[in-house]
Amino acid sequence: MKSFPRFFPIVVALCVLAFMGSAIARSFAAGDRARGVALEDIERLPVSAGGRTKPLDTFARNTLLRLSGRQTFEVDDARRSATEWILELWTDPSAAAERRVFRIDHPDVKSLLAISDTARTRFSWKEMEPKLDEVVRQAELAQQVSRKQQDPFQRAIADLYGKLSEYAEVRALRTPYVVAPLAAGEEWAPMVVVDPHEKGKTSINDSESARAFQAILVTYSTGDSANCERAVAAYTARLNASLAPEMQRGAFEVVFSRLEPFYQSSALYMLAFLLGCVGLLAAPISPDRWKPSLFRAAIVVIAVAFVVQTFGLCARIYLQGRPPVTNLYSSAVFIGWACVPLALFGEWFSRVGILSIAASFIGFATLIVAHNLSASGDTMEMMQAVLDTNFWLATHVVVVTIGYSATFLAGFIAIFYVLGGACTRLLAGEAMKALPKMIYGVICFAALASFVGTVLGGIWADQSWGRFWGWDPKENGAAMIVAWNLIILHARWGGMIRERGVAAMAIAGNVVTAWSWFGTNMLGVGLHSYGFMDSAVFVLSAFCLSQLLLMAVAFVPTAKWKSLQPA
Amino acid sequence: MNAVLNLLKPFASLKLTVVLLALSMFLILAGTLAQVDQGVWLVVDSYFRSIYVAIPFQLFVPRKLAEIPGVLPFPGGATLGVLLFVNLVAAHLVRFKLAWNRAGMIVTHAGVLLLLVGEFVTGAFAKEGNMTIAEGESANYIEDTRSCELAVIDGSDPKDDLVIVVPGQILEDAAGADLSNGLLPFTVRILEWMPNSRLLGPMQASPAQLSRASAGFGKQVAAVPARVASGVDGAGTDFPAAYVELRSGESSLGTYLVTTQLRSLQSVDVGGKRYDLALRFERRYRPYTVKLVDFRHDRFVGTEVARNFSSLVRLSDPAQRVDREVLISMNNPLRYAGETFYQASFAPDDSGTVLQVVRNPGWLLPYISCTLVTIGLLWHFGIRLAGSFRRKLA
Repeated sequence: MKSFPRFFPIVVALCVLAFMGSAIARSFAAGDRARGVALEDIERLPVSAGGRTKPLDTFARNTLLRLSGRQTFEVDDARRSATEWILELWTDPSAAAERRVFRIDHPDVKSLLAISDTARTRFSWKEMEPKLDEVVRQAELAQQVSRKQQDPFQRAIADLYGKLSEYAEVRALRTPYVVAPLAAGEEWAPMVVVDPHEKGKTSINDSESARAFQAILVTYSTGDSANCERAVAAYTARLNASLAPEMQRGAFEVVFSRLEPFYQSSALYMLAFLLGCVGLLAAPISPDRWKPSLFRAAIVVIAVAFVVQTFGLCARIYLQGRPPVTNLYSSAVFIGWACVPLALFGEWFSRVGILSIAASFIGFATLIVAHNLSASGDTMEMMQAVLDTNFWLATHVVVVTIGYSATFLAGFIAIFYVLGGACTRLLAGEAMKALPKMIYGVICFAALASFVGTVLGGIWADQSWGRFWGWDPKENGAAMIVAWNLIILHARWGGMIRERGVAAMAIAGNVVTAWSWFGTNMLGVGLHSYGFMDSAVFVLSAFCLSQLLLMAVAFVPTAKWKSLQPA
Repeated sequence: MNAVLNLLKPFASLKLTVVLLALSMFLILAGTLAQVDQGVWLVVDSYFRSIYVAIPFQLFVPRKLAEIPGVLPFPGGATLGVLLFVNLVAAHLVRFKLAWNRAGMIVTHAGVLLLLVGEFVTGAFAKEGNMTIAEGESANYIEDTRSCELAVIDGSDPKDDLVIVVPGQILEDAAGADLSNGLLPFTVRILEWMPNSRLLGPMQASPAQLSRASAGFGKQVAAVPARVASGVDGAGTDFPAAYVELRSGESSLGTYLVTTQLRSLQSVDVGGKRYDLALRFERRYRPYTVKLVDFRHDRFVGTEVARNFSSLVRLSDPAQRVDREVLISMNNPLRYAGETFYQASFAPDDSGTVLQVVRNPGWLLPYISCTLVTIGLLWHFGIRLAGSFRRKLA
C-alpha cells in the first residue's frame, strides 16, 4: 500500500476517462422511444427559429428551458425528453396541457392563479386556464410601465405572459418554422400561416415538406409506429438530398446537446478543485507523497476537463460557423477556457500546486456563470448585421476576452495567495515566493491582451461607423481594465507596492473586470431604479463586496501572516 | 541640457503616472455612470474633453437610497490627457537610454503617445454627420444630428434659394422670448422649445394639443417633450421641436409647429411674399452628390433581426470627373474626399438609407498606435519571459 500515492493519479485518470467514455457512449446510443416510435430521427429533423436552422431537439430543449428552466419534463415522476414534449403538444394538446412546464416563483403570481400548493414551482397550462383572462389583464397593465420601472410582480407577470404566448405559438405550429425549403428559391415557412388581412383566419401550408411533416404527426398521434418511422425515414431522405449540410450539422448538434460537454467539464473542474484542496490540506501531513500525488491527480483531471471543454468550443464553432465568442454566454465559457492553460503554464513554472486549484476554480465558476446565462434559450443565436464579421469577432473579441480571463486569473491567484498566506501555513516556503511572481506575470499578459484587444475594438468601430472611440459604457469598461492593469504595473515598477500590494490590487482587478463584463450591461436596466434589486445585480454586488473583504485581508501586516512565520 | 532635464525630473515620476492613471480611471467611471441620465455627447464634452468637470456625488448613490447634493471638482479628460502626455515624454527624456531590453518600452510608449494625440485630433477636428437619402433621390449635404437650425427659405429666385438659418442654440437660449434680425422677414417668438420631442399623430393628439398651432402641419400633428436620449440607451438621436409664433410688426402670421422629425417645408406668407420654414438638422453642403440607387435590408427568416444592410449609391462629383456606383454595407465603408461613408441606419419601412459621414484627419493614428504597442509589449514581455525560461531550464 506504500506505493498507492504514486498510482493514485493514474487511478483518477482511469476513473475520469471511464466517466467521459460512458457519457460519450450515452450520447451516441439509440435515444428514447415514445408511443413505440424511436425519437432519434425525429429529434434530428430540421426546423428554423430565430433565423437559424436547427434540429427539432434543440428547439424543443430551448423552449422547454425558457418555460420551465429545464431541458426535460416529467411524466409520473420520470424524466422525458423535450422532443417527446413538443410532439405531445402538437398531437395531443389536452394531455400536454397537464404537463407542469411553467416555472413560476413569485408568490403573488401564484396567489393570483389561486394555486394552493405554494411550495411547488412548476405548473401546467390546465392549472392556469381558469385564470388566463386575469393573467392577460395584469400583463397588459404591467406592459404600460417600461421594463425599467416595473416592480418584481409586474416583471414576473409579464414574463409569465410571454411564456404563455410562446407556448400558444408553438402549440399552434406557428413557431418554429417546420416547413423546410426543398427547392432552390424556397424559404423556411411556418406550418400555419395567419392571414394578415383577415383576423383569426389561418391557412395550412400545403407544400411537399409540409405534407411530409403532417404525415409524421398524424401517424405519431395515432400510435401507428411503423408508418411513423417510415414517414420520418422518407422525409429525412428527401431532406438529405436538398439540405445536406444542415442535416449533417443537425445530427451533430443532437449529439452535442446530449453530451453537454460544458456540463461534463464543469463537473470535472469541480473534482479537480476538490483534489487540489485536499492536496493542500495533506501538505503538512504527507508533504512528499500525498501532496504531490493529489496535485498531479488534479492536473490530470483538469487536462481531461480542458479537452472536453475545447471539444465543446470547437463544436460550437463548427455549428455556428463563427469564432468562439459571439455573446455573453460564450464569453463566459471562453474566459474559463483561456484561463486554464495560462494557469497550467504558471503551474509548470512554479510547481506550487495552487495554480491548478485556481484554474479548476475559474473553469468551474465561469461554466456556472455561463449556465445561468443560457436560460434565455438558444445560445447560438444569429448575429446582428453589425456583428456579422468573423474577422473582428475572431481578433478583437477573442483578444479582449483573453484579457478579461488573465485579469480574473491574476485576481484569483491573488485570492489564494492572500487567504492561504495570511490565514494558513499551507503556503509556507517556496509558494510564498512563487505566487507573487505569477500574479505579476499574469498581469503583464493581461495588460498586453486587454490593451491590444480594446484598441482592436476601436479599430473595428472605426471600420463600422467611423468612430474609433465613443466613450460608451462598454468601451469605458474595457478602458478601465486596461488602466487598472497599467496602474498595478507602474506602481510596482515605481516601488510603490510590493507582493501584498500587487495581490490586493489584483483582487480589485476582479471587481473592475466584473464591472465591465456585466455591470455596464446592467446600467441600461437602470442602476437607479427597481432593477437595482434584480438577482444579477445582487450577485454582482455581493461578488464585489466579497472581493473588497479579501483585499482587506491583504492589508494584515506581514508579521501576522501565518505562512511567513518561521516554522 | 542638464538644466532642462532637472526641470523635467519632477514630471517624470512614476508616482505621477500612477496618480494620473488612477484619476483617469475614476473619471471614466464617473463618465460612465453619468450616461445613465445624460446623452453620451454631453458627457464626452463635459467629462472627457474638458479641462475641469464637476462630478455630482449623486452619481455614485442610487437616487432611491438617498438624495445627495454637491459636486466633486475634478480635472477633466483634456487636463489628464495633457498631463499624461507630459509625464510620459518627460520620463523618456530623463531616463532615456538606448538598449535592446528597453526598446520595447520606448516603442510601446510611442504608441501610447500617438493614441493620446489621436484622441486629441479627433476631439478637435473630427466631424460627424448623417446623410439621409430616400431611394431614387440624392443628397449633397451632410446633417449634423447633434445640432439643429431653423431655416427660412426664400425661393423667389428661380436659380438659387436664399436660405437664412438660425442655429438651434440661439433658439434654445431665446425660449419664451422674441428673436429678430435684419435678415429675417419676420420676428420669431419661441413659445416652447423641446430639446427632444415625440410626435403625436392626428389620432393620438388631443384637440387641445392640436390647437396649439394655427397654421402648417401643426394642425394635424402635435409634438410633446421627450426625455433626452441617455448614453446607456445607445446612441439615440434627439429630435428637437418648437412651437413658434411668427410676427410681422404687430400682427401675427400664425403659430407653427416646427420639428426635425418631419422633413416637409411649411410656407409662410409675409405681405404677399412666400417663405418656406423648417426646423432641420444643421446642414453642411458638399460639392458632390450621393444618389441612392438601391437599399437592401435583409432579415433572418421569420425574425426582425437584421442580417445585413447595404446601399448601392451613385457618387458624382463633376469638378473631379467622378461618376461611379459604389456599394456601401455594414463594415464596408466608402472613403471619398477625406470623408468616410458608413451604413448607419435606415428610414422607416426601408424607404431610404442613413449614411454616417465622418471626416477625421486622425483616423489612421490608432492603427499605427495599435501596431506599435503590440510590437513593443511583445518585445518587452518576450525578453522578460525568455529570461525566466532560461533560469527555469538552467
